[in-house]
Amino acid sequence: MHGIRRVRQTQEERQASKRKELAKIEEFNALTQRILARKKGNDWSDEAFQLTTKLLQINPEFYTLWNYRRNILLKGKFPNSSPEQVHELLEDELSMTMTALKVRPKVYWIWNHRMWCLEHIPKGPASDGEPGADGWKQVVWNKELFVVEKMLDADSRNFQAWNYRRFVLASMPTPRSESSELAYTSKKIEANFSNFSAWHQRSKTLTSLWAQGKLDESKSREAEFELLRNAMYTDPNDQSVWMYHRWLVGTGGGKDVLEREISAIQELLDEQPDSKWCMESIVHYKRLLLNNYAKDVDTQHLTRDCKDLLERLETLDPMRRLRYRELAGEIGPSTS
Amino acid sequence: MASSGISTSSVSATENSDKLLADLHVSYIQKLGQSKDDLAYHLTSHLRLNAIYWGFTALSMLNKPDALDREEMIEFVMSCWDEETGAFGAHPQHDGHLLSTLSAIQILIMQDALDRLDVDRIVKFILSLQQPSGVFAGDAFGETDTRFLYCAVNALSLLGKLDLLDREKVVEYLQRCRNYDGGFGSVAGAESHAAQGFLIMTFSSIVFTCVAALAILDRLDVVDVDTLAWWLAERQLPNGGLNGRPEKLEDVCYSFWVLSAMSILNKVQWLDVEKLSTFILSAQDPEGGGIADRPGDMVDVFHTHFGIAGLSILGYPGLVDLDPVYCMPASIIEKMGLKKGYKNLERKAF
Ligand SMILES: [Zn+2]
Repeated sequence: MHGIRRVRQTQEERQASKRKELAKIEEFNALTQRILARKKGNDWSDEAFQLTTKLLQINPEFYTLWNYRRNILLKGKFPNSSPEQVHELLEDELSMTMTALKVRPKVYWIWNHRMWCLEHIPKGPASDGEPGADGWKQVVWNKELFVVEKMLDADSRNFQAWNYRRFVLASMPTPRSESSELAYTSKKIEANFSNFSAWHQRSKTLTSLWAQGKLDESKSREAEFELLRNAMYTDPNDQSVWMYHRWLVGTGGGKDVLEREISAIQELLDEQPDSKWCMESIVHYKRLLLNNYAKDVDTQHLTRDCKDLLERLETLDPMRRLRYRELAGEIGPSTS
Repeated sequence: MASSGISTSSVSATENSDKLLADLHVSYIQKLGQSKDDLAYHLTSHLRLNAIYWGFTALSMLNKPDALDREEMIEFVMSCWDEETGAFGAHPQHDGHLLSTLSAIQILIMQDALDRLDVDRIVKFILSLQQPSGVFAGDAFGETDTRFLYCAVNALSLLGKLDLLDREKVVEYLQRCRNYDGGFGSVAGAESHAAQGFLIMTFSSIVFTCVAALAILDRLDVVDVDTLAWWLAERQLPNGGLNGRPEKLEDVCYSFWVLSAMSILNKVQWLDVEKLSTFILSAQDPEGGGIADRPGDMVDVFHTHFGIAGLSILGYPGLVDLDPVYCMPASIIEKMGLKKGYKNLERKAF
């Protein structure tokens, strides 16, 4: 249970609510037994199907009932149906789960059933414009993408919706182009830099575009640094921005890029002298210089800088002081 | 399950205890099986076997494994066997599922009653759930995700049958789940054409399932420990609790997942352990026992278990050692020869 406040009840209050619950318990258990008995008897009738609808409305987490429902569809309903009818049945399932999700948006089993339905849409032509044998499929997947993007419009940081959106994109008969995916993450990130899921999706999309040669890697990397510069100044306290920066630096570029980024972050640090993330990042990139370009850098100077910053971080962020101390220890002695 | 319309007083923060209320938690867990006049009890039957594992593990951490009747527990577990799937359901007459099957295996091992299991059939069930991409589904209908992958790897390891698994495939899948932060996502990137699942869980729990699975497979070398542990350490909020991902509230269950992943990565010291321990203790219900997601909320057996398990990793006095990889008593895992190189804090004296 998450986020439900604890309340104290008197003895009488407790007994009153128990009395009220008793009837509900009896109804729920009786219905459960009726359905499970039918299930045991391999009853694939419409009557049994309706009973699962009723009980799943009360308890959508009863995974056994979702299984039973799918078996009724597969063994009772689909074999006697034309593709049109199967298509219709599954459309009904999609509306039923949508209603259920409005009440219980976090129940895994509802999403699970929805995914199964989407995957079982038969081949067939669409009447509304989508040509070809995958017409029906394309229409439902397009609709699904629309639904999940509406959820993301309402809450752009909804982690589950981002995950579900990835599932939808990967399942569409005609995949969306990755360039339009990149544009989508741009839109979400520009609306709010502090969006871990959007940055994550962006890193995946870029990696793939670069690997396929669909995007000039070094040019595109520079554009990302530009975007990040913006993000750092707008929201310097968001870890996802710094994580993304670290990832980007790690994808390529050499000593020049490291030095340029260090001085850009230093500039921000001069403006915001207590920025923990600036210090953390400068330490990380200076350590990369020390580890990868020891011959071409002033190691003593860099070592001292790192140690100074880590010492400041210990005071600034005492909860993680032992981490900073450990990092300082790894750098080695700074005395000349 | 807040009772609407009933006049009640909210719980004040001053009631919070700074000591573990062990006796209260024992009686809270004992009473759970006797709440049959509670609607919530019946509405959660799909989690019964998991709940018994949570309650029993918590009691074992509290050094009170006998607080629930052994024979009764074993008989209940066996009554959840689903002959059709060859696996355990969460409740008698419920369908077999990987999640409840793992709970059944864990309970029977902790009760030293593994001889009751039809190991061959269970192994067959688990192996049938692996997908071409290496990941696992939860049952024959189900979608795939890394939580199920962890359950499968964990269960096979406990049954001594890990060598029947295509380990390389599993590790490859986990590597493809890696994110730019050194952590893990719930599904591999879009390059895979296999059916992709998605996971309703927040990030730190996914990290835990991936890290623990890799630990069991002896393949922690694929983890970028420094970046991942940095990300995990930043989950700690000023009040000491840990959240699942940036911008979210602290929670006892996420605190456990981050903490156990940190223990497996040998980085518990990167957290403020005193503050974390204080946070977990402040989420106790000082009147009825049990632990909630955060102070002042309704308790449940899930958070009670993760709260006590977290305190055990933190070396809280008097608790039994927990193995963070398997989330079972450390002595049992050690006896089975399955102990990995995790590092909990040393047990403090009272
Ligand atoms: Zn929680």
